[in-house]
Amino acid sequence: MQNVVERVLNLLIYLLESPRPVTADEVRNTVQGYDSDSDEAFHRKFERDKDVLRRLGVPLKMEALDAWEIDYGYTVDPDEYAVPDPGLSQEERVALSVAARMVRLGGSHAGLDALVKLGGIERSAGLEPLGADLGAEAETLGSLFAAITEKRPVTFDYRSSQRRLNPYGMAHRRGHWYVVGESPEGERLYRVDRIEALEVGAEAGTFSKPEGFDVRSIMDAQPWETGGGEEVQAKVRFDAEVAWWAARTLRVDEPRGELEATVQVANNDAFVGWILSFGSSAEVLEPSVLRDEIRSRVSAALDGLP
Amino acid sequence: MTSSRTISRLSRILALIPYVLEQGVADVDDLLERFGYTRDQLTRDLNTVFVCGLPGYGPGDLMEAYIDEDDVIIDAADYFTNAPRLSPTEALGLLAAGMTVIGMGDATPALESAVSKLTRAAVPDAESALTVDLVDESQNVSKLREAASDHRVVSITYRSVGKEETTQRAIEPWAVFATLGRWYVMGYCRMAEDERTFRVDRIRDLQFSGEVFEPPASVPEPVVGYTASADDVVCVIDLLANAYWVLEYYPVEIVSESKSKIRIRFSAPDPELPARLLLRLGRDARLVKGPEVAARVSELGQSLLETYR
Repeated sequence: MQNVVERVLNLLIYLLESPRPVTADEVRNTVQGYDSDSDEAFHRKFERDKDVLRRLGVPLKMEALDAWEIDYGYTVDPDEYAVPDPGLSQEERVALSVAARMVRLGGSHAGLDALVKLGGIERSAGLEPLGADLGAEAETLGSLFAAITEKRPVTFDYRSSQRRLNPYGMAHRRGHWYVVGESPEGERLYRVDRIEALEVGAEAGTFSKPEGFDVRSIMDAQPWETGGGEEVQAKVRFDAEVAWWAARTLRVDEPRGELEATVQVANNDAFVGWILSFGSSAEVLEPSVLRDEIRSRVSAALDGLP
Repeated sequence: MTSSRTISRLSRILALIPYVLEQGVADVDDLLERFGYTRDQLTRDLNTVFVCGLPGYGPGDLMEAYIDEDDVIIDAADYFTNAPRLSPTEALGLLAAGMTVIGMGDATPALESAVSKLTRAAVPDAESALTVDLVDESQNVSKLREAASDHRVVSITYRSVGKEETTQRAIEPWAVFATLGRWYVMGYCRMAEDERTFRVDRIRDLQFSGEVFEPPASVPEPVVGYTASADDVVCVIDLLANAYWVLEYYPVEIVSESKSKIRIRFSAPDPELPARLLLRLGRDARLVKGPEVAARVSELGQSLLETYR
């Protein structure tokens, strides 16, 4: 590991200081650590080291050295390399340090790694009796986030079929990360933990987000509010014992006794499921189409008993 | 593939150098704290810096780096006056951490302004593209966190998971945490006379009792999820494709899987929860085994058919 650390530092210094792109051969003959390698060993090492640089956040670029694009060289632009200074005050740095200590991303403290690059983690008083893990695989999240900010299209496997998406935004909601965007079939939402074989498009800036797009408004919907079905207005009664619980989900004031609520339903299936999770403590009063749906659902369950 | 330990080491070195260069002379203790170093690690990294530099690698080409009593000095490293830019994962990690705390309704103005500065600097377009929300509809997370910090006993009205019943109990909160999108409070439950973990969204009322408790010397690692007990009602259910979401929402054990269905074992403290689940799944699931659950499905189903006649 010591050798790798030294070699990568030397390589990075060489790339930052060279006024023009340098070829792999020049790297091999100039940078300490590659000199005595065979062709094959060199190429293996160099590939690995380039990957390390990318993972460190170094914007390594490949550029043609001649008009015929026969020879290519590598370069790192010092201005692109430098982390932009967000201009944080001391107080802001402390607040971020507290937050980054508390919150993990798929088990990793990516926020703390970021703070280190921004000048280190600030001391904060006491130990927080609080912690949160935002789940999901940090690498996939990072790649999707990069695709969103750089406006690159992505392709991935989702439930064994391939999807294409222009990603507009992502959200963490109810324990899962979601990515939202435009697919050839229209606006779609995918769960990040179900995404496999993610590929990010090579070209940036290939689409633009619709005016006024806000991922929050899409994510705020309850399951029965979206689904493309014909909207019906349902009237429901909840027993006093569960009324507070239902009121929180429906975002209405908590009643003192029982709750009678009117709900816009666009997805009967999801709505009926939610109502039945209350057992006999909730009743749909109208419309009859939903009452029929519940009756047939319950009958089917009874018919299926062993 | 190069190990992530190598990456973290390099990342820390590339952040350390610009910081020390900017300070001119840096204090050892400040560096240990700020970059999470032990003194040995810091010495080792400075020794590495000291042997790297420009091609030629003669004395005049290498960086200078050394510890002089309590001071750290780095020189001849002008190409490293800035740390590398944040990787997307790092930017996301920091923004998400800030947004999580803001979402709890606990944010200071400093945190809000820090997050908006970061957003502008790192991802100009992310303002409306990223949201992190650990829903706390109950507004109880802040109160519980306060109680845990000050060791205050709270009494809660709690709707238990699985049993679907509401109880009143006094708890001594030790830690408040979020995982899988939900907030939990862990501590000693005076009703159960044992350690318990509660879902914050299922707490209806919360009051400080006025009493202060003695916290444990060390808080055990919190356990989330349902732990099956010997008294549990167990049943076996076949799920059809439309009901596969159950696997993500309930702690179930997969018994077998075929092309068209998944057979699961479901444990719960009483038959109510699996019975309600079977009713809402209708023809998308079928109970295979579990006489108590079958009886409850039948009873509850009949009463629902009565209601919806």
